[in-house]
Amino acid sequence: MEQRHAIEELVYRSCMALDERNFKGFLDLCDDDFRYTVTAYSPEIRKDMVWLDYDKAGMSTLFGNLPRHNSDHSPITRHATVYTVSVDAAAQEAQAVSALQVFRTQLDGGATELFAVGRFHDTIKLGGAAPSLLKRVVKMETRLIGAGYHIPF
Amino acid sequence: MAKNSSDWAARPRFPTSHYVDSRIYTDQAIFEEEREKLFRGAWIIGCHESEIPNAYDYRLFTHPTGVPLIMVRGEDLKVRSFYNICPHRGNTILYDPAGNAKRMTCIFHAWSFDAKGECIDISRGEQGYQDRYCKEDASLREVKAEIGFGGFVWVNLDDRSCTLREYIGPALDMLEPHMQEPMEVFHFHKAVVDTNFKLWHDTNSEFYHDFVHYFNRITGMMQPGYFDRKYTGYPNGHASVGSMEIKYDAYAGSKKRAVGWPGLAPGGWILIDIFPGMTYNLRTSVLRIDTVVPLGPNKLIVEFRGLGLKRDTAEERAERVFDHNTIWGPFGRNLHEDLLAVMGQGRAMHEGTDSRWVIHGREENSTIHDEIGMRHFYAEWGRRMGRPAHDPMGEGRPAPARAAVSA
Repeated sequence: MEQRHAIEELVYRSCMALDERNFKGFLDLCDDDFRYTVTAYSPEIRKDMVWLDYDKAGMSTLFGNLPRHNSDHSPITRHATVYTVSVDAAAQEAQAVSALQVFRTQLDGGATELFAVGRFHDTIKLGGAAPSLLKRVVKMETRLIGAGYHIPF
Repeated sequence: MAKNSSDWAARPRFPTSHYVDSRIYTDQAIFEEEREKLFRGAWIIGCHESEIPNAYDYRLFTHPTGVPLIMVRGEDLKVRSFYNICPHRGNTILYDPAGNAKRMTCIFHAWSFDAKGECIDISRGEQGYQDRYCKEDASLREVKAEIGFGGFVWVNLDDRSCTLREYIGPALDMLEPHMQEPMEVFHFHKAVVDTNFKLWHDTNSEFYHDFVHYFNRITGMMQPGYFDRKYTGYPNGHASVGSMEIKYDAYAGSKKRAVGWPGLAPGGWILIDIFPGMTYNLRTSVLRIDTVVPLGPNKLIVEFRGLGLKRDTAEERAERVFDHNTIWGPFGRNLHEDLLAVMGQGRAMHEGTDSRWVIHGREENSTIHDEIGMRHFYAEWGRRMGRPAHDPMGEGRPAPARAAVSA
């Protein structure tokens, strides 16, 4: 139970770090071999699509380039609920599946709208002082996200 | 000195070809007129042939006029297009955006149609209609469909329209050598944004806005050859921008593209705008296609497609996908910036904001920051609409021009 609690907390901390644009904090939760992928299935072309795919260094560069770009500054908040956790004790890894809802709040007036829904499919490395994210696949259900966003979910 | 209300309302001191009245972006009546005069008789990209590779594969598309269309490949492998409207009670026949249907059956009363648009079954037909109405009376409305220019399925609602080849003319000649191999769509998404469709097309028709893109400034604008790219206008309002070599490795985290594209120089980039709202954008390893579907004067769907080569290995495809997503994906660096920019225009220009003029006045020998691409578009817009873009309501006289008249 303690292990599951630690895994859940890792997922929630990853959301909070990105919500706060604490990119270093997010990357600190990730293993050196971290891989981050955003996918979506398109019923229109009947294909799985990859919308983003980076390793840890790629994510770091993506975050580092942000100040040079023109971006939507409306904050987004990630609401995750960890549904399932499966631990492979021999491999010292766990698989966690979480429901994800992303809300966006307008700067002018503060109206909040649902921005996207999907799921995190996380692979978590165990055995260290604390669990760390080895792989995150964000499977998007929502594909209509207006102008898009420069910070991934 | 800042302008007072008279100054603000005064016509720009440019030739009338070099500015437009912003009401062409906001007026509901003009929008309705555009749907009829610009879109109804135009050839529009509905999908790509790779989206419907097999017999009975179909794809739905809402035409910019609002007409719901089915594009379906028949048993003879010919692609045809029909209204997605049942001739019985006007119901939608197919609901899913794509699929495979040997019989297209309306769920409402089970009337069925084949891929040639013929009605093949009217449920309890004889009992209800006796000999007064039969299957032959109940065909679907077919619209023109042709495959061309890279394997795209083009549709045209006007039975008397010119051919696709006549409509495109020489506009895609620059790209034709690069579209000889079969291609495949690997990316599709839509964006609904509050702006006018022409403002999106404008963004694809001028590169002066590269100032909004850090990526383009660092990989393009600061590189030799950038200011040599030239615009070419073609009949029917189409326009192209010539190639240059993009220095992708100038952007941190990016890299020199390895996979390339047949016949295109490494780092090459060709962009061709098709009137009234489609863009071919071939950049190094990916072909991106934009298709606008206007919903109102200030509401727009843009359909985005990314294509690679059908013969791609898994590794090649992955690289194209990476290249695409870096700048053009929903989380990409450039697409977000472009969409923010046109939404900003929509926010500043919708009805009631007292926006008055939009200037297309840059003249730089038709090179990359010249605004001749937009001037070329609006000349065609005026011709088809029967009203000039600088004075769409026929109420003003031009101010004395300060700039020399050109294109």
